[in-house]
Amino acid sequence: MKKTFDKLLRKNEFYIFLVIIVVGLAIQFRSGQFFASNNLVDIFSAMIVPHLFGLGLFMIIVTGGIDISFPAIASLSCYITTKVMIDTNFNGSILVPLIMAGAIGWILGMLNGFLVVKFNFPALIITLGTQSIFRGINQGVLGAVQLPILPETMAKFGLEPLFKVVNRTSGLTSVMPIAAIIWVLAIVFVFLVMRFTMFGRGIYATGGNEVSAERAGFNVKKIKFLIYSFNGLLASIGGFIYFCRMGQYEPTNLIGMEMTIIAGVILGGTALTGGKGSLFGVFIGTFLMVLVDNSLILLGVPSFWKTFATGLLILIGVGISALQVKRASNRYGKSS
Amino acid sequence: MKKLLALVLALMLALAVVACASPSAPAQPGDAPAVQTPAEAPPAAPADTAEKVYNIALIPKDATQPWFQRMNIGVKQFADDTGHNAFFKGPESFDAALQAQVVDDLVAQGVDAIVICPIDPGAVEPALKRAREAGIVVIGHEGSSVENLDYDIEAFSNQQYGAFIMDNLADAMGEEGTYVQFVSYFTTSSHQEWADAGLARQQEAYPNMHVLEAEPRVEVEGSAEIAYQKAKEILKKYPEVKGFFGCGSRDAPGAARAIEELGLQGKVFASGTGMPNENAAVLKRGTIKALTLWDPARAGYAGLELAVKVLNGEEIAEGIDLTPDGYQDLTWSTKYPGKVLQGTGWLTVTAENVDGFGF
Amino acid sequence: MPISARVFLIDTRVAQQYCHGKGVFMESCLKVVDVYKSFGAVKALNGINLEIRKGEIHCLAGENGCGKSTLIKIISGIYQLDSGHIELAGKQYTQIAPIESIMNGVQVIYQDLSIFPNLPVFENIAFNSELAKKKKLVNRKELRSIAQAAVEKIDFKVDMDALMGDLSVADKQLVAISRALINDAKLIIMDEPTTALTKREVSSLFKTIRDLQQRGISILFVSHKLNEVFEISDRFTILRNGENAYSGTTGELDENKFAYYMTGREFAYETFAPLKLSEKPVLEVSKLSLNNVFQDINFSLYKGEILGITGLLGSGRTELALSLFGAVKEIDGDIRVNGKKVKLRKIRHAIQNGIGYVPEDRLSEGLFLQQSIGENIIISKIDQLTNKVKILNKKLRKAEIEKWVKNLAIATPNPSNAVTTLSGGNQQRVVLAKWLSRNLDVLILNGPTVGVDIASKYDIHQILKKLAAEQMGLIVISDDIPEILRLCNRILIMKDGRLTGEFQQGDVTEKEISDLLLAGI
Repeated sequence: MKKTFDKLLRKNEFYIFLVIIVVGLAIQFRSGQFFASNNLVDIFSAMIVPHLFGLGLFMIIVTGGIDISFPAIASLSCYITTKVMIDTNFNGSILVPLIMAGAIGWILGMLNGFLVVKFNFPALIITLGTQSIFRGINQGVLGAVQLPILPETMAKFGLEPLFKVVNRTSGLTSVMPIAAIIWVLAIVFVFLVMRFTMFGRGIYATGGNEVSAERAGFNVKKIKFLIYSFNGLLASIGGFIYFCRMGQYEPTNLIGMEMTIIAGVILGGTALTGGKGSLFGVFIGTFLMVLVDNSLILLGVPSFWKTFATGLLILIGVGISALQVKRASNRYGKSS
Repeated sequence: MKKLLALVLALMLALAVVACASPSAPAQPGDAPAVQTPAEAPPAAPADTAEKVYNIALIPKDATQPWFQRMNIGVKQFADDTGHNAFFKGPESFDAALQAQVVDDLVAQGVDAIVICPIDPGAVEPALKRAREAGIVVIGHEGSSVENLDYDIEAFSNQQYGAFIMDNLADAMGEEGTYVQFVSYFTTSSHQEWADAGLARQQEAYPNMHVLEAEPRVEVEGSAEIAYQKAKEILKKYPEVKGFFGCGSRDAPGAARAIEELGLQGKVFASGTGMPNENAAVLKRGTIKALTLWDPARAGYAGLELAVKVLNGEEIAEGIDLTPDGYQDLTWSTKYPGKVLQGTGWLTVTAENVDGFGF
Repeated sequence: MPISARVFLIDTRVAQQYCHGKGVFMESCLKVVDVYKSFGAVKALNGINLEIRKGEIHCLAGENGCGKSTLIKIISGIYQLDSGHIELAGKQYTQIAPIESIMNGVQVIYQDLSIFPNLPVFENIAFNSELAKKKKLVNRKELRSIAQAAVEKIDFKVDMDALMGDLSVADKQLVAISRALINDAKLIIMDEPTTALTKREVSSLFKTIRDLQQRGISILFVSHKLNEVFEISDRFTILRNGENAYSGTTGELDENKFAYYMTGREFAYETFAPLKLSEKPVLEVSKLSLNNVFQDINFSLYKGEILGITGLLGSGRTELALSLFGAVKEIDGDIRVNGKKVKLRKIRHAIQNGIGYVPEDRLSEGLFLQQSIGENIIISKIDQLTNKVKILNKKLRKAEIEKWVKNLAIATPNPSNAVTTLSGGNQQRVVLAKWLSRNLDVLILNGPTVGVDIASKYDIHQILKKLAAEQMGLIVISDDIPEILRLCNRILIMKDGRLTGEFQQGDVTEKEISDLLLAGI
């Protein structure tokens, strides 16, 4: 019993969970709205896109890598897709643009994967570079501009509810968009891969010790290549959902989002050094980031505190990780 | 190595937060209004200005945004009408440093005049100073506070525009109820002036309306997504809110999305700056009764016309006619007489006329 | 007085075992015949021969860079040989793929153990075989049963769900051994398996190795520690500079021969006798305690002596050293330097009082790896090499660096090279130089020759003796008992946080110390 509890105390997830409960209770206390069914639906629907981004990034960070180019990938692939759909007056199934955006994202992610595997530079440097390239292609070469009106299919997909929840007391309706299906599928897929395939265990093994992983017979290069590609795919699908829901395409709206997403993943206990992290952690880490982003007004905190709160969360997250590392190696022998 | 990377990342995270907090990021077009109908307005150029062909550049805030794409239409129209070599050259993103770079490039090219919509006055002042020292005429648009320019042209006075938005909102709300104001950033000066003017107008004309005391003015970071999220939160926390006063062009549309999603159509309204095309649907559904704006094409056209007049040495005085509708009888602003010219160029977009704008 | 090789721990049971076994070891399990391998212009292996017989424990020894690792990689199929061949299970190979090597029952346990610290034990054990079977999906039940079967083979009890990183080094090693056993191993190659183990853990590892031998598994045991070679192996092969230096049965070997074959040099081993001790102690420690780590430590150190402190890992020996160096704050008790009571709450205090410390893990604690050799030497003295306005005096700096490179015979073409370019022994000399440049009164050395080859070890000992002769007081902490016996004139035994014995050199044998340390365990 004590052992289980000790184990719990060593997990970021546990602390983040506590923070969420505290924030939730505070919101409930201040506004009476936190546990309102429609508020929860709102928070979950606001989580769809950040969490889709977080899922792909999670797998990369577990290998000990990083990708900061995913917002640029999403912006580029969604511009191409939306533009083509507009120019061809497309009016068919939503699956066509969805698959198209995903495929372009996959290809862009492959480029990241290729560079990481081939040159073995730090992924941070590589994706910093590809990020600029993707942005340059989008806004320079292709001259991406805001596309205020989406093709009918995409606009409809953005608004289409999976279900609606009405709050009896306030009469407010909250909508879970149909895109949540994709989100759930992605979570289940990543869960199955990470837990039940040798490929997924290879991701953890690579993050734990790359040389050992190779010796054990994991194809480390293939693993890395595939997860960077997959991250491109998830990023593009996330971006696609984002723009469809917003009802317009914007070339720069996603840029800058990478730090919040990384912060969410780390808050949930994924170690930047690789090898450690859980899907549940990513979920609640992202949940906390989204919660804070979307609840300051409910808490009665003036909205200009938002960036402060986000920064604080990041510091807490990084701080907890650092503490854990320190605790793990806390022997006197290491202190000189 | 990994440790180092982790450290670098942690630092970047921290920096990113600081960076996001600074208002340098995106802002957007909906900053000033123009006049009535479509863009074929300007009549053919007077023959007497055709004797010398000038090179005049118009520098937008962000060439990728539809607002400025529309302004480019005015530039092309002007070039066709007058035969002057007027062209559109701007930063590819909303970046004040890039914009200053564009000014320097143009000085090096030796253009005769520059019409500029400054992103951040502080960042372009030095470049504009160099331009003027090189003998280049500098005309501003939405840049009344910039020092290094010959004249600034505004579609209207900020006071009139803010009051105008408030009139629209009051009309939608039946002149009663609580409302919240949205601005792109707290540092966007034109938005703050409109919001102030709107507030003043409400206090003077609509005694049954109140601004929400807990959150009178909210920053939505120039993003329709954030405007949507903030509006949703406000409506949950403060059910008494019945209206959103939007300054940036994404503010009212973002709020409209929240109103519709929460099922509050017909109970809560939004009003403010907005582009006709992208808002046709919400206008027709009645969530927004009226949007306001000015036509960037006309503003651009008028700015270029003003530049030519200055280059030709004509007298610039109250009542000057710069051709497009709304810019035919300009007045000095009360704050900057002799420098800032104001038109009457605002437009109202409603469900009825929204399809007639062509942009 | 040379110490006889036979002093090393050999319990009679083992001796019987391999005497008894001798007749069995005739059939060969692996043969390496006349193998050559070069990397570019560098000849790594120059006609190497090696024979390992079925069921024998064969020790492969040699200094760093002698070709041991290359040979292992050729046997396991990671490198391809240039000429010659190897024979496995009676079949000749001039080319062998890693998978063929595994199929022939060859398993390598690398020095780093190839483990995943972030994953549970059962995955660590079972991954290899699952991957070899080209499994795509994870069947936890199957992984567990594979892992369970593997640990049962060596009677190893471990929590299958524990994270690998939480295990002790010894347990990690047992996991690695269990993993090697899954695929019907016939030959297990262990690359310096005892490096990070305590004495007790080494003993239990050796027991496991003998158990494996009983099952007819051959072991190729790579080590450069003489006592281990003696204790565990039936036969041995020593490589030097990519060539066979010697092969034979362990019985033929003694310490001098071993050192000679390893290095090609003859060493005169002499025990240390201090020339002259100071009248008053330079360092006095009384009633020193650190919560739950050590209690009531009393001893004195005189100038000119080398005081040995030996104890098992966890006995508090490292913490004691760190306390004297000001790296541990929460200590109680008195410390006097040159008769004056001092407070050592910070490392800076210790340095100001003339106390230096050479840490156990020089790579992570003693050296700035990215910096040059020269920078590392002068770092602790940098404040004395500046001019009035605190700018580094380049001439002084250069002279200082050259002095120490010369004095300590650090083998480098250029002191501006990175310190990582040096061998372990030379790195250790850099650490020494760093402190000696400060003219200390007391130098504490924690495991001064861990991971250092024989020749360097000898040289480092000579340096330490010279320092003592120059009236420095030295404390050497080591669990290498032969080293302590040879190097120190006085020996303190530390056990469970207390000093439990004190001996003058010559009054005690290795066996006695070892018995004391292991008593009650």
